[in-house]
Amino acid sequence: MPGFIIVALIGAILSGISLAVFAPYVTLRRISYMGEALSHIAFAGIAIALISGMNLTLGAWIFVSIVALLISWLSRKEKIQEANTITIFLSLSMALGIILISLSKNYAFDLSSYLFGNVLLISISEVWALGILNVLNILFILIFYKELFYLSYNPEMAKVFRIRATFIDYLFYLLLAANIVLNLKSAGIILVTAQLILPAVIAFNLASRLGWIILISAIAAVLSALIGFYLSFVFDLPTGATIVIVQASMYALSFIFKRRK
Amino acid sequence: MIEFRDVQYRVGGISILKDINLTIPDGVFAAIIGPNGAGKSTLIKLLLGMQDPSEGKILIDDSPRDSWLKHNGFGYLPQREEYDRGFPATALDIVLMGIAGRIPWGRRVGDEHRERALSIMQDTGIIDKAHSPIGNLSGGEFQRVMLSRAILSDSKYLILDEPEAGIDRHSVVSFFKLLKELNDAGKTVITVSHDLHTLNKYSNFLICLNKTLHCHDHSELIDQQLIDKTFDEHTRLIEKDY
Repeated sequence: MPGFIIVALIGAILSGISLAVFAPYVTLRRISYMGEALSHIAFAGIAIALISGMNLTLGAWIFVSIVALLISWLSRKEKIQEANTITIFLSLSMALGIILISLSKNYAFDLSSYLFGNVLLISISEVWALGILNVLNILFILIFYKELFYLSYNPEMAKVFRIRATFIDYLFYLLLAANIVLNLKSAGIILVTAQLILPAVIAFNLASRLGWIILISAIAAVLSALIGFYLSFVFDLPTGATIVIVQASMYALSFIFKRRK
Repeated sequence: MIEFRDVQYRVGGISILKDINLTIPDGVFAAIIGPNGAGKSTLIKLLLGMQDPSEGKILIDDSPRDSWLKHNGFGYLPQREEYDRGFPATALDIVLMGIAGRIPWGRRVGDEHRERALSIMQDTGIIDKAHSPIGNLSGGEFQRVMLSRAILSDSKYLILDEPEAGIDRHSVVSFFKLLKELNDAGKTVITVSHDLHTLNKYSNFLICLNKTLHCHDHSELIDQQLIDKTFDEHTRLIEKDY
């Protein structure tokens, strides 16, 4: 197997795990559209980075983090439904991104790679970055396990019972932004969105304790990356899209094993 | 001791609470009564720090509310709690929320916390549902879970917003008896309630609210005159036969 394929396979697995461990929280907090929204919001970040000559990933992460924190703050402060705040920022960021890219002279920007991603183009340094991100994700979940649990259950009550929900909520959004932006190049918007929901809903059908749900979500992501990668290699299909199809099939299958709750 | 000093609360120019001056001494069993829309839940949310007064001050144990809340908390039973019935938590998990804020980051809930939670669930009569998923609990059962959580928080103040809601009539008395025991053991109980008859039996400090305060004092008896004054209408004190 050529070296770049092995790098891409490891990249796809790490990418899957990084989003899958967040997916149960995203699903429980009913912000699963956040993946798609923040991916689109990253578009404006990429455009700003293109114009200013900044590193694209760094530019996108800074921009997405600022917007994610603003969404979290505004939803809390103004009691606006999170869905509404996100939609406002999504439209605004897309509009800003489109205007900025049309103003810049950089026609080399490939919009389709941004939409669909290409895991085969992932570099070794990006695989390392994903590895480090996975370690950060797991540490975050281990350290704040109970706080994240109650924050997902009911943030208002978590605050009443003196769980430092606001601080952890900001950390959650910063890390979520980093996960989305780092995965965008290899996975694209479609796979990022799928990875932030499908592994979790598969796991919810199979387990009823959060610890197990997170573990099964990560295993589902790894399995779908392996199977999707193999199928795309054999049948010469786009890798990201094939992984999504595999995950959706696993979700359908998971209903057979759904526990009676 | 809890003090409201000249507290006003307005939303969009509309006055929800007006000129609230109130001192609740430690150790009382206080009852907040008033008609719907009187601002009872708002008064509680102001106390808990879930909302901020438009004007005025709230002092708890002589400290401003926000600085008190940095180091202390309330045991709180909300009127309604929004939650997803499919949320992967058991009744015991929700009770343990009462203590989670006091366990440092990185530490899991220990066996000693679980044992304490289970012993409280024994007292509140919900022990047999400790390991049931929350989605399987009835309204009354969930109310007991929330009471257990409030007790586990170990605050000297127990704040309850219509604790009798969703509980069958027979259980209301045992519920209030339990509150009275907690009160006798030293906790200050502050409860919003519509069950005037039961309150009359257990409460020793009455707060009559209808946007402004109509009374706030130690009271041996809730009388009809007081009810009329607070509710602006003829509400009869009905003897409930439990």
